[in-house]
Amino acid sequence: MNTTENRTATLLAGAALGLAAATRAADAISVDDLIAKIKSTDDKVRGPAWQSAGPAGAPAVKPLAALMTDPNFEIARSAKRALYKIVRHAGRPGAKKEALAVEKELIPLLKSDAVPVRREVLWMLSEIGTDDAIAPMAALLTDAEVREDARCALMRFPSKKATDALKSAFAIAPEDFKFALAESLRKRGQKVDGYPSQKLVPTKQTTVGQAKTS
Amino acid sequence: MEPQFNESNFRFNNTAKTTMTDSTQRLARRDFLKSSGLALGAAAIGFPTIIPASAIGADGSVSPSERLTLGHIGVGGMGGFHLDRMVAFAERGRTNVAAVCDVDEKRLAGAAKKTGDKAKPYRDYRYLLERKDLDAVVIGTPDHWHAVQTVHAAQCGKHVYVEKPACCTIEEGKAMVKAANDNKIVVQLGSQGRSQRECYYAHRYIANGNIGKVRKVTCWHYESPADNNPIPDSEPPPGLDWDLWLGPLPWRPYNARYCPGSFRWMMESGGGQIRDRGAHVMANALWIMGADHTGPVSVEATGTLPTKGAWDVALKMEVVYQFMNPDWTLTWNQPGEMVPYFDRERQKALGIREGYGAVYHGDKDKLVLWVGDSQAFTEEKAIQWNKQPPAGAKDVHKSPNWDHHEDWFQAIKNGTKPVSNVEAGVATAFLTILGNLSLILGRKLNWDPVKQEIVGDDEARRMMSRPQRFPYVL
Repeated sequence: MNTTENRTATLLAGAALGLAAATRAADAISVDDLIAKIKSTDDKVRGPAWQSAGPAGAPAVKPLAALMTDPNFEIARSAKRALYKIVRHAGRPGAKKEALAVEKELIPLLKSDAVPVRREVLWMLSEIGTDDAIAPMAALLTDAEVREDARCALMRFPSKKATDALKSAFAIAPEDFKFALAESLRKRGQKVDGYPSQKLVPTKQTTVGQAKTS
Repeated sequence: MEPQFNESNFRFNNTAKTTMTDSTQRLARRDFLKSSGLALGAAAIGFPTIIPASAIGADGSVSPSERLTLGHIGVGGMGGFHLDRMVAFAERGRTNVAAVCDVDEKRLAGAAKKTGDKAKPYRDYRYLLERKDLDAVVIGTPDHWHAVQTVHAAQCGKHVYVEKPACCTIEEGKAMVKAANDNKIVVQLGSQGRSQRECYYAHRYIANGNIGKVRKVTCWHYESPADNNPIPDSEPPPGLDWDLWLGPLPWRPYNARYCPGSFRWMMESGGGQIRDRGAHVMANALWIMGADHTGPVSVEATGTLPTKGAWDVALKMEVVYQFMNPDWTLTWNQPGEMVPYFDRERQKALGIREGYGAVYHGDKDKLVLWVGDSQAFTEEKAIQWNKQPPAGAKDVHKSPNWDHHEDWFQAIKNGTKPVSNVEAGVATAFLTILGNLSLILGRKLNWDPVKQEIVGDDEARRMMSRPQRFPYVL
């Protein structure tokens, strides 16, 4: 490397450091700003805020999740959409650290008292979760209100650990949920005795009058 | 006179000029066989001809070899249009509508009535699939049901006519193709533009090199609507089985912005204009470009999302699909640049919509194909060329009587591929899925068109499937 190249490299490194610091500062500011805007009842303020929430990253996860239960359904919806923006921004190729940071913030939310939060967080983790998310997600296979979302979300994990979690859940599941778990296990190449597929078994009768002729 | 359906406003027009002439409505069996034979030579599927039990005349009824016994799953919107047409075919001895199914009891009662109460009503389509006397089903449900119901119907040995787009995920599309081929059934997607006369004209004109090598196809379509008056979740209306309406989708409370009629504007149940009309306009593009069995290598979407409301599909969007070997580019532009139809008087007389279509850019010339669903119109030069094509001109698939339903009947009868066959329909749906996926992820996607999978993006790869809610699974 010659002198000019050295100088250029130094300048570029300096610029990169400055940019990173500026980005961190912008992020630090942007979380409070983001939350304030998501709380706005003006969709011209709230809409652009959730749409550009992606780079806010992990620090914005908990405050946004808290807003998902806001009594104003448009604010709650905007918070949910902002969270998905964060998840999908963090899930981009080459951003593993960001994805891990977001995952770390999402996992505790699986214990939220709010069903919609548990449900949506399961689906968010289905997109970017690592094996670390599997056990806490599988714990919700015993949660009657979101167990089906937990089963579906775990199906997106390619690892054996997810299969093992489904197997363990099957062993202790109530009878009515065993059929769904058996379906999942078979799809993942596991042999399951009993609990045949229910997908072609009709269950719902119409009240509309029957045919006069056939 | 048959009803005509205008997808743009979901209204029936019983006084509109029918697409079939009186003479074609009373198509002679001899002519039917003649036209069927033409297609047999062109596109044999390679599996034994399937002639359903009820179509071989065992009961001695009128023209049994041309009659299919049908069940209709989903009878609102386009499903209602299909039912009306099949009832009209029944009057000519071509079909027997024996079952109707809908999750909305009011709609179901109306559908049964349309058949003169001859069809047995069902809420749960799986009762309908159990019937051994049904040869085929017509699926007109919201998009999120298309793949699951097609796969289940195939597994029960029924031929399928299913509304477009074929599927909501890559996994669903692959399952549809496998189920159709494993069970040797004929699937026709409702991308009926391919059966329209002037779409055939455009295809044949381009296939014979009149505009040179086509390197770019640009589609235009007006924007998706916004939900400007959001409303809270509520109890579903009486008579609607919300659990069955949702089917494979994750559970959520009812909201009147989902249905009836507005499922298209939700990403998970519809996907917006790109999936609705894109499944027409881009289906035509794949057909004309001879690209039904391939796909792009990259997809990049940008767009504008609504700031509020339940509807979450893009208001505006632009998607660039890059194909290789041969190299060409397909773009979806919403709204893009609308090309006005060239003849105002004809446009007025025929009610030609110009809000969507595609321009085929060749290295010698270009050609416009307007609309491309229940209507299709092209330029005068292509129409005139088709009236007197040069000797030896290459031909392309021609649906009997320019009728998409008849093309399906013919394929069932002859064991051939219909024009919007399952592979083609799934290839088109994949374009729409990848466009929306690129948009919501905010990044370019790389696609392996041979393996049919996303490359180099773990999150996007996981989103190639959306596991279905039990028991409404593939």
